[in-house]
Amino acid sequence: MRFMIIRKADAETEGADLPTEELFKQMGDYIEEMVKAGVMLAGDGLKPSREGARVKFHNGQPSVIDGPFAETKELVAGFNIIDVASKEEAIAWVKKWPPLDGHGEVEIEIRPLYEAEDFGDVFTPEERAREEKMRAEMAAGTGNAVPEGQRPSN
Amino acid sequence: MRFMVIVKANAESEAGVLPSSEMIAAMGRYNDELIAAGVMLAGEGLRPSSEGARIKYENGKVTVTDGPFAETKELIAGYWLLDVKSKEEALEWIRRIPFTDGEEVELRKVFEASDFPVDAISEEHLKKEAAWREATQKPIRH
Repeated sequence: MRFMIIRKADAETEGADLPTEELFKQMGDYIEEMVKAGVMLAGDGLKPSREGARVKFHNGQPSVIDGPFAETKELVAGFNIIDVASKEEAIAWVKKWPPLDGHGEVEIEIRPLYEAEDFGDVFTPEERAREEKMRAEMAAGTGNAVPEGQRPSN
Repeated sequence: MRFMVIVKANAESEAGVLPSSEMIAAMGRYNDELIAAGVMLAGEGLRPSSEGARIKYENGKVTVTDGPFAETKELIAGYWLLDVKSKEEALEWIRRIPFTDGEEVELRKVFEASDFPVDAISEEHLKKEAAWREATQKPIRH
C-alpha cells in the first residue's frame, strides 16, 4: 500500500533558511536507502508558503489569496510517497528520518493513498480504464518532456 | 517550474465519503486535459487521517500518534504535481478544477536543485537525484 509522508513546516522552512551540506548528505543517504529497498516512489521539498497561494471555490467560483499563511505548523514543507506492505512498515521508515532535519525537532504525518479498488461501483469501468491508462503511462515513463515553448496553450 | 496543488480536507473527505460517479468523471476529464497539455506529473487522493499517524521527533525521542486529527481544514485530502511556466499558469489550471462548493486548494512552489547554493549539494548527490527524478517524474502523456 502507498503512503504519503508529509513533513510539516516550521519557522525555518517558512523562513529563508536552506538545508546545510550535512543535512543534504543525510537526506540523500536516507532517500537512497528507500530507493534501494524499492519503496520510494516520489518526493519533493516545497518552497515557503509566501511563494504560494490558496484558491477557494464557492458555487463553483474560484477566489485566489496569495501566501504567506499563518498557521505554520499545519503547512507542508515536503513529502515522499512510499510503497510498503503495512502502516507499521511506513512508520518504521519514518522513524529513520534524518536526525539533522529540524535540528531533531520535526513532525511528520503519514497518510494512506486511495487506490482504485477503494471506490467501488461509482468508479465506472470507463473511468477505471482511463485511470489505468494514465498510471501505466506514468509508470512506464513513456512521457517525454515537452519543451515549454512547444506545449499547447490553454 | 513545478507546483504542488494541495487539496485541503473537509468534513466529507475526513469522513471517507467517496466522490459520486459524476465527480469522478469530471475529474477524469480534467486530468485528461492536464495530461494532454503535458503539465501533469502526478496526482493522488489521500484516505482520511483516521487511517494515518503523526510522528514527532523531540530531543532524539520519537512519538507516534494515530489519527484522526482534529484540525480538519488544515489537513490534506489530495494533490496534483504540475509542471508549468509560471504561478499564473498554475492558477489558470486551478481555476478550472471541477470543484463546486467550499473546496479549498493551496498552491505551493517546489524546490529545484538550482535553488540551493552550488556548494551545498555534492556533484555525486546531484547526479543521483537527477537520475532518480528522470526515472520517476515525467509528464504523463497519452
